[in-house]
Amino acid sequence: MKKFSWTPYLLLLPSLLYLVIFFAYPMYESFRLAFQKDSAILSLRDEPDENAELGGQVKLQTIVTILDRLQLEETLPNGRIRPIFWFQVEGEDINGNTVTGWVNQKSVFIENRRTSETARVVAGEPTKEWTTDFAERMFNDYRFKRALITTLILIVLILPLQFTLAIIMGLIIQSRIRGSNIFLYIYAIPLGVSDLASGILWYSIFTQRGFLNSFLDTVGLIDKPYIFIQASNREWMIAAIVLAEVWRATSIVMVIVVSGLQAISRDYMEAGEVFGATLWQRIRYIILPLLKPSLQVALILRTILAFQVFAVVVAITGGDVLTVLANETYRWYDPARYNNANVAAVYALFIMVLSLGISLFYLRAVRSQEEASKNL
Amino acid sequence: MTTLETPMNSTTTRPSMEATAADRNRAKRRHSIRRGSIYVLACLIALWILVPIWLIGTMAFSTPEDVRNYPKHFAPIPASTETMDFFLNTDGIQRAARNSIVVAIITLILSTLLAIPAGYAIARYLFPGRDAIRLGILSVRAFPIVVLAVPLAITFIKWDMYDKVYSLALMHTALTLPTTILVVASVFAGVPYELEEAARIFGCTPAKAFWKVVLPLAMPGIAAAAILTFVLSWNEVFAAILLTLTNRTLPAQILYTLDKSGDPFKFAGGFFMLIPSLIFIFFIRRYLFNMYGQLNK
Repeated sequence: MKKFSWTPYLLLLPSLLYLVIFFAYPMYESFRLAFQKDSAILSLRDEPDENAELGGQVKLQTIVTILDRLQLEETLPNGRIRPIFWFQVEGEDINGNTVTGWVNQKSVFIENRRTSETARVVAGEPTKEWTTDFAERMFNDYRFKRALITTLILIVLILPLQFTLAIIMGLIIQSRIRGSNIFLYIYAIPLGVSDLASGILWYSIFTQRGFLNSFLDTVGLIDKPYIFIQASNREWMIAAIVLAEVWRATSIVMVIVVSGLQAISRDYMEAGEVFGATLWQRIRYIILPLLKPSLQVALILRTILAFQVFAVVVAITGGDVLTVLANETYRWYDPARYNNANVAAVYALFIMVLSLGISLFYLRAVRSQEEASKNL
Repeated sequence: MTTLETPMNSTTTRPSMEATAADRNRAKRRHSIRRGSIYVLACLIALWILVPIWLIGTMAFSTPEDVRNYPKHFAPIPASTETMDFFLNTDGIQRAARNSIVVAIITLILSTLLAIPAGYAIARYLFPGRDAIRLGILSVRAFPIVVLAVPLAITFIKWDMYDKVYSLALMHTALTLPTTILVVASVFAGVPYELEEAARIFGCTPAKAFWKVVLPLAMPGIAAAAILTFVLSWNEVFAAILLTLTNRTLPAQILYTLDKSGDPFKFAGGFFMLIPSLIFIFFIRRYLFNMYGQLNK
């Protein structure tokens, strides 16, 4: 087209820089939050002097044996002099080696400065330490398993419904009946609806004094409202969330399906018709295989978003009886509740690993299927 | 890209040499039955989309008494703006709505300004690494918001940017930028290159050709992309609730007070949040496939 020029890179630079700052950096921070904790290490000195060379480094809470002790004096900032003990100690360092060196009384807890044989390290310089504490805390939290299971159940229920409905919508739009433009606009309305609004909308249907009960009452099927959303009614709560999500997020799949359908040459369809294929056969053997790349993209996109389902669940169930991973992330982060950003970061990373894992799995599955069909 | 306006192909009966009149009639009847069933299905799905919106609208424009009443009416009779007024005058709602609008506008401006050059580069230049950059932008789009919100909240606290309207806008820009770039790129790709070339031949510098020829032609599409950005930011709730405390945006404020508020507040709030999306779909309808369709290319 043209010879090499720097122009496109310059044009892209601001956006790329922005994304690096707001994606790469937070990712790095996220790892640090999840797997590092504040800690301290104590440096031993070669001589009983603050400014002496460093010996080894000992972790906090290490028990050290006292080999020798010295009573020295230190000058306080106000000029007064007070006695201070120095101990020559032996203990295990960070790497498990035995080290010896001098520490003063401020850094260790010791029962009796003159007679005790051991001391415990209690102070040191602040540092960061790698830890799985936060991850363990997440995995051991009783809500974790429930959140994970609910999230997975929702995905398993929502995605097939969504894709079936989206394909039907797409075929309707593509059948070019009169007014299909109007149908397209109507089907696309939920594209701009937030998950919170959709949650409130379906809450208005399923709540005790809601539209579903009103309807059942009006047609005479019930005489007092049935409480769909209550702790003992998990199935109904999940059903309400599934409906809300299918209602809201099918549109995006529909648009992807329609643009995929538009790319399918009419020749294939006409060939199918000429050879007398039924509608179902045409869908099964012509449309779906040709639509596969589009469906795959939509599937990955929807799965990743489904792992983050949040506001719908909170709006419909309150987020206590029924919880999902993103809601737990928020609960741990929330200053008014657990106020622990570290565990929240573990949750966030967990969601990311799950989404990436599933996306890779999809891609692999599709590829191996293609290879298998080549070998036929 | 095929548009929806392409005339309908005649997909009617198969040509058959010795088809009798009866055969043809039968085929016609079968055809119209199928057409009819497609219509029924299409209308049912349209109802499935529209009825919940109608219901929440009914709630928003009924009196608070009617909202609490059981069984509920299925139409706003008698109509009233009392519930809506109550919602809009609840403490913190107007402020939150204002915050939402400010955040969305900053996001829109930043995102569009960054996306125009980037989108143009992707649409018009072939350069080493182009596909990698495209793919990178696409994959960033599919990145969980959840992962970004927690560390960014902590970082913003460190930088003294926590609970600020503009810092939430910075975050929203990061979330919307990949989408905006791809949409803007597809809009630029739709502007014929010949026009730009012609401008150059008549002595325009590349910058002037862009400014005088390409940009005006791309403007409606860019405006649609900007509206999309606005709606994405207006709807976003997870990052908003993590990054703000007193400066809540509307969804964050509503979500935060959800368990403490009554049904009239919830329903009016739900409807109020819907309004921009209803307007949005009207404005972007021509660009629907620019926005989402090219995800799979």
